Amino acid sequence: MDKKLGLYICTGCSIGESINVEKLSNIAKNALRIPVVKSHFALCGNEGVELIKNDIKNEGVNTVVIAACSLRVKYEEFDFPGCIVERVPVRELAVWSQETPEDKQLAAEDYVKIHVIKAQKGDIPEPYVIETVKAILVIGGGIAGMTAALQSANAGYQVFLVEKEPQLGGFVNKLYKAVPTAVGEYSEPLIVDPTIDKVIKEVESNPNIKVYKSAKVEKTEGQPGAYDVTISSNAAGSENSEVIKIGTIVLAAGWRPYDATKLEHLGYGVSKDVVTNIELEEIAKKNNGKILRPSDGKEAKKVAFIQCAGQRDPNHLPYCSAMCCTGSLKQAKYVTQNKDATAMILYKDIRTPGRLEYYYKAAQNDPGVMMTKGEVTGVADAGNGNLHVEMENSLLGKKVKIEADLVVLATGVVPATIDDPILNLQYRQGPGLPDLELYDGFADSNFICFQYETRRTGIYAAGCVRQPMSMAEAQEDATGAALKAIQAAEHIAKGIAVHPRSWDETYPDPFMQRCTSCKRCTEECPFGAIDEDEKGTPYFKPNRCRRCATCMGACPERIISFKDYHVDLIGSMIKNVSVPDDEDKPRIIVLACENDAYPAIDTVALQHGKIDPAVRIIQIRCLGSVNLVWLADAFSRGVDGMLLMGCKHGENYQCHFAKGSELASYRLGKVQETLGRLQLEAERVAMIQLAMDEYDKVPKMISDFVDRVKEIGPNPFKGF
Amino acid sequence: MPEQVTTQTISPDLKFVKDIIASGGESLKKCYQCSTCTVVCNVTPDNNPFPRKEMMYAQWGMKDKLISNPDIWLCHQCSDCTAYCPRGAKPGEVIGALRNLAIQHYSPTPLAKMVGDPKYLLMLFAVPVLLFLAYIVPKGFLDISAIPRGEDGGIVYSKFIPIFPAIDVTFGAVAFFAAVCFVLGIKRYWTDLSAGVKVQGNLMDSIKATIIDIITHKKFEKCNVTKDRKTAHLLVFYSFVGLTITTTLAVVYLYGFGYESPYPLYNPLKIIGNISALALLYGITLVVGNRLKNAEKAGKGSYFDWLFITVIAAVAVTGMGAQLFRLADIAILAYPTYFAHLVFVFFLFAYAPFSKMAHMVYRTTAMVFAKHTKRD
Amino acid sequence: MPDINRILVIGGGFSGLTTAVDAAETGTEVIIVEKNPYLGGRVAQLNKYFPKLCPPICGLEINFRRIKTNPLVKFYTMAEVESITGGPGNYNVTVKINPRHVNDNCVLCDACAQACPAERPNEFNFGMDKTKAAYLPFNQAFPQKYVIDSSHCKGDCGKVCKDACKYSAVDLDMKPETITLNVGSIVVATGWNPYDANKLDTLAFSSVKNVITNMMMERLASPTGPTAGKILRPSDGKPAQNIAFVQCAGSRDENHLHFCSYICCLASLKQTTYIREQNPESKATIFYIDIRTPGKYEKFYWKVKEDQNVSFIKGKVADIVQDEGSDDVVVTAEDMITGDKVRMKFDMVVLATGMEPAGASKKIAGVNYNEDGFALPNSGIYPAGCTKSPIDVAKSAQDATGAALKAISTAKSAGQGR
Repeated sequence: MDKKLGLYICTGCSIGESINVEKLSNIAKNALRIPVVKSHFALCGNEGVELIKNDIKNEGVNTVVIAACSLRVKYEEFDFPGCIVERVPVRELAVWSQETPEDKQLAAEDYVKIHVIKAQKGDIPEPYVIETVKAILVIGGGIAGMTAALQSANAGYQVFLVEKEPQLGGFVNKLYKAVPTAVGEYSEPLIVDPTIDKVIKEVESNPNIKVYKSAKVEKTEGQPGAYDVTISSNAAGSENSEVIKIGTIVLAAGWRPYDATKLEHLGYGVSKDVVTNIELEEIAKKNNGKILRPSDGKEAKKVAFIQCAGQRDPNHLPYCSAMCCTGSLKQAKYVTQNKDATAMILYKDIRTPGRLEYYYKAAQNDPGVMMTKGEVTGVADAGNGNLHVEMENSLLGKKVKIEADLVVLATGVVPATIDDPILNLQYRQGPGLPDLELYDGFADSNFICFQYETRRTGIYAAGCVRQPMSMAEAQEDATGAALKAIQAAEHIAKGIAVHPRSWDETYPDPFMQRCTSCKRCTEECPFGAIDEDEKGTPYFKPNRCRRCATCMGACPERIISFKDYHVDLIGSMIKNVSVPDDEDKPRIIVLACENDAYPAIDTVALQHGKIDPAVRIIQIRCLGSVNLVWLADAFSRGVDGMLLMGCKHGENYQCHFAKGSELASYRLGKVQETLGRLQLEAERVAMIQLAMDEYDKVPKMISDFVDRVKEIGPNPFKGF
Repeated sequence: MPEQVTTQTISPDLKFVKDIIASGGESLKKCYQCSTCTVVCNVTPDNNPFPRKEMMYAQWGMKDKLISNPDIWLCHQCSDCTAYCPRGAKPGEVIGALRNLAIQHYSPTPLAKMVGDPKYLLMLFAVPVLLFLAYIVPKGFLDISAIPRGEDGGIVYSKFIPIFPAIDVTFGAVAFFAAVCFVLGIKRYWTDLSAGVKVQGNLMDSIKATIIDIITHKKFEKCNVTKDRKTAHLLVFYSFVGLTITTTLAVVYLYGFGYESPYPLYNPLKIIGNISALALLYGITLVVGNRLKNAEKAGKGSYFDWLFITVIAAVAVTGMGAQLFRLADIAILAYPTYFAHLVFVFFLFAYAPFSKMAHMVYRTTAMVFAKHTKRD
Repeated sequence: MPDINRILVIGGGFSGLTTAVDAAETGTEVIIVEKNPYLGGRVAQLNKYFPKLCPPICGLEINFRRIKTNPLVKFYTMAEVESITGGPGNYNVTVKINPRHVNDNCVLCDACAQACPAERPNEFNFGMDKTKAAYLPFNQAFPQKYVIDSSHCKGDCGKVCKDACKYSAVDLDMKPETITLNVGSIVVATGWNPYDANKLDTLAFSSVKNVITNMMMERLASPTGPTAGKILRPSDGKPAQNIAFVQCAGSRDENHLHFCSYICCLASLKQTTYIREQNPESKATIFYIDIRTPGKYEKFYWKVKEDQNVSFIKGKVADIVQDEGSDDVVVTAEDMITGDKVRMKFDMVVLATGMEPAGASKKIAGVNYNEDGFALPNSGIYPAGCTKSPIDVAKSAQDATGAALKAISTAKSAGQGR
């Protein structure tokens, strides 16, 4: 598009008093050759906005550069459809955070200049729109999967449901009774018949849902909005294979109980009368509620429940399965249906959080239910056909043996994804969801605030494959995952990114002629958005992309671009930052991530916190997008130091693009080489991990770096 | 040297759990072991405190750990535990139920079970009723006009039911029976208490200290929610002391000096007796009042408790009533009231070792033991 | 019936924001009604999240950005729903908007606050400090707009503030306004309030110095809090180095909140890390009934347990008194594992007070509640997050996403059903 730039300088908020607006306007008109340059006391007011609108209408201005306040403060006011709008946070970065009039002026001039360049180099985004479908694939026909299917279908979406067993229902099918899904206090009966049959019927009769039983996902090819999924099924003994077109996926593949044969110390496999909680369900179901012990078929009258069996244990499952305390309280009621029987629950902590506390309260109020805290150390033969559960530090005594005729191990939940990719994605980076070892194999999110985010766009996990949870929780979880799947399908159809840049209409557009097939982009993309063709040439699947531009940072050929964000665009900004000739005045460029680092800097500036005048701050999408050429650009221009500020990485990473800041740190480790070639000290480049609430530390972080650079001395390239 | 820990084998006793529930501890299963009760209890020692651990043992039906446990008697039923219990488990009530069961356990006759069970109530009352009827029916005294009057024409109860043998032999036997039962019970209790425990200090000192505790009612001062119980219990306690003195004097008058009742109101015996009776009446009214007032926070109490309170109240009311009706010469009310009084007094004393009355003996024993073992 | 592909979200805390953003990004129009002058709710007051110890403002910032860039989301602050009429697919909701006395012209220049002569207790910091009567609720508040608290800005205070503003942003004539919104379905995300610690008589919140609540601790530890993040005890400003955490302060208690508040164990574990980070000598003791760190949170418990200076005592505190002759606090509990009653002295005590659903103190006409004040789902009206059940932020986010779908489906199907 032919751009006609207009620069609008706000003189309010002490900008007018602090800097020489006339001088700035003249620089813009003369040096930057901007045809329309205007100033106003309050650009954000009606009059100011009208001024800009008039110029758009009457002067043909289509690229608006607003030198005023931060985008985080005024956003609605400066919305000019069809125009490129670039904001220069002069107020925050030049006026409020600088001390001397000279520093304010220089900063204002620099920031205006580089943002004008950004406006000149950028383009209006054009969304990536291909033919897509919005159908949803749900993997897993347990309560979570069925709920996701029904919720999606009820919202008007076509659903394909794949279940590996010959019937729907999942683990609920095994249950003798369920915990009532009461709203307030629980009252008798505390064990009720599961209503899974009703749900199965609803799913199977829903015209929007197609069910595949005894089936699995053989492979998932393509990208969100346009996946080709091969489903193989073994219905009625004959192998079938079918390819369906779907948009997004809910992964509700469920769980399996922890392998109890590893719990020999608790008597499993040693005595027949040591069973798992799931086996107890089977016993109760088979005998219509009677708890007959496996060894001799006698009705069990002293049943010990060992909580956390193989859980909360570094040798077994490190986590808590969240459902077993309620489960054992429920099963205790199975036992005490026989009025002469006792159910003894041996626990570390009873975990019935939230309103489940009511269930605990109701279920324990039974003469036959006995509970005590302690550490179970083993299960031994009592010699009389019964067993002794050995406990230490219990509330009944330091060391006790509890006699039981049946021992139930409350074993935990192991996600289906622990050893099976399930999705069988045909992605270069592998068939499953990455990083699952961070979550003990669960297909969980790293983000507290964004529970459904995985590193595979358009794929959302729900139920026990995501986290251990109860049936009621799994239903809510599945509804959420269904929403995310629908949302992704809708955004993708319009060519808009999904979380976290869920407004972004740009996408990576590589200039393939210059690609050397080095594969760095395919390896480094946090979202597996880039595959390779048979010849090993990268092949972009934009609908998998989250627009972090990590590929752009990775590419040594600098061929990956977004309409409003590319190597040359940021490079040009960097190259146009003024470099003082004065050797005592270093120039340092800060590249700040848009998610945490930049808002932190903005916050401190809004509070008139002072930022060292040596720095110029450039906001970038993610540290992952930092191309090392920018360092070369800067240093060759005489910049004395570069500081990258981004999110925390490593365990508990906070990078919203998962890998961006980690990759930046990795690349920075290699930057020595580049700097060495330029005969520059490696310490001129540093990276700081910063969380948004650490804004108060920003001035010191920056000035410490400036001091270090000052110690090193000026960049020898200065003045060249 | 590392502490040697012996492993105990635990086999929960569901029957005992059900017994506790039946004896007034119906809330015990609600306890989730937070120990608020133990913290708010001001009468428990810091070392191995109660009642949280008793709640655990009770939930598991661990009778051995409870029946002979002096702590259930060190509890003075302040009910602070019950008021603050977050679960409504009412530890005070459960400990009360345990005391009831302990009384039953140590009493040498099956009467204890009957006293604790409402279905035997009529039968228990039938004994004194029939006994006293046996005196009056043959004499035709069911017809009140047939009852001879005193020299001054006034009502003389000894003409209705003779002091000797009807009253004194009966009550003498009752007292003897009760005393024997108490001795046997306490003997068994003390044996259980001292099993395997190293006793420290001088027993007489412990007894002395216990008596001081009792006569000052010092422990009651530590109660919070039921602060006012001290006055009530103190009144009832001292009125019993007064009535004991009255009875002793009456025996002395009759058998020492041949001085027969009724005595004039200015007689020291009458003065002590009436003051005590009024104190009892007032005290028991306070007891009932406090219980009703605190019921929401402190629990409503067991049948066992209420039976005892009712009998004491009935003794006081009928005793006072009998005197007033006698003085007012309302024969139609006076004789039946006196009859009822005798029945209630019989009930109170004959069943003392099996009713809540026994608490004075067991609690005293436990207090002595606790002091003797430096627990209190 | 009009075609109303529009939903109302009552409450702009984390749940409400999540529902709003998720629904809007699915193509539905959303209106948020928030009673505070800012969005973010309780989360905005938190210093860090468990178990990652990351700042809540980070996720809020992303959601704010999504709101700013999405024309389908509209919000009202300082607004409260007065009543709801109608049914699924077509609700009429009356909303009262209280005057902010600052309009959209506000540029965040702080001039009004600098000039303002009056002060008000800062409820954002639980009254531990004061702000001017013209104030920004907290420095990363969204919308970034000042507020004038007219109940504290009396006399010529208003005029002084108005005169200080060069942008005609102060409008003293703003009046409460009532509007009616027409929506297809409603998500109730009114959240929770910390349980009133004054009701816990044995825990002596109001009578003993240096007994604070867990939410106050969040503010004390926060860089935006009254002590700029230094954990100083209130009575004398001394750094609190030995702190007791009293779990289940009001929760799991028939006399107070009957349910478990879910977050308090994790919050206290998290808060031990605040203290430990500030001072290597510092100590924390957690008095608990059950440590509830369900699911993956168990590993966070382990991490805290590894710290030798953090101890755990199984036994609930039920007695708190002032130490004789000092501002220290003595707490009593039974250590159930040793079986002894312990009395321990601390610099400061944190009561892990639970969450009382907003519906316990204020009910919205047209919404059904249970006896605890949790809202009940009702075709077309869906509670989300802590309005429904006590849960943490992660679960609230998850629940709110699900609520968005339910609300959208109702709004849509009612539209199609015509």
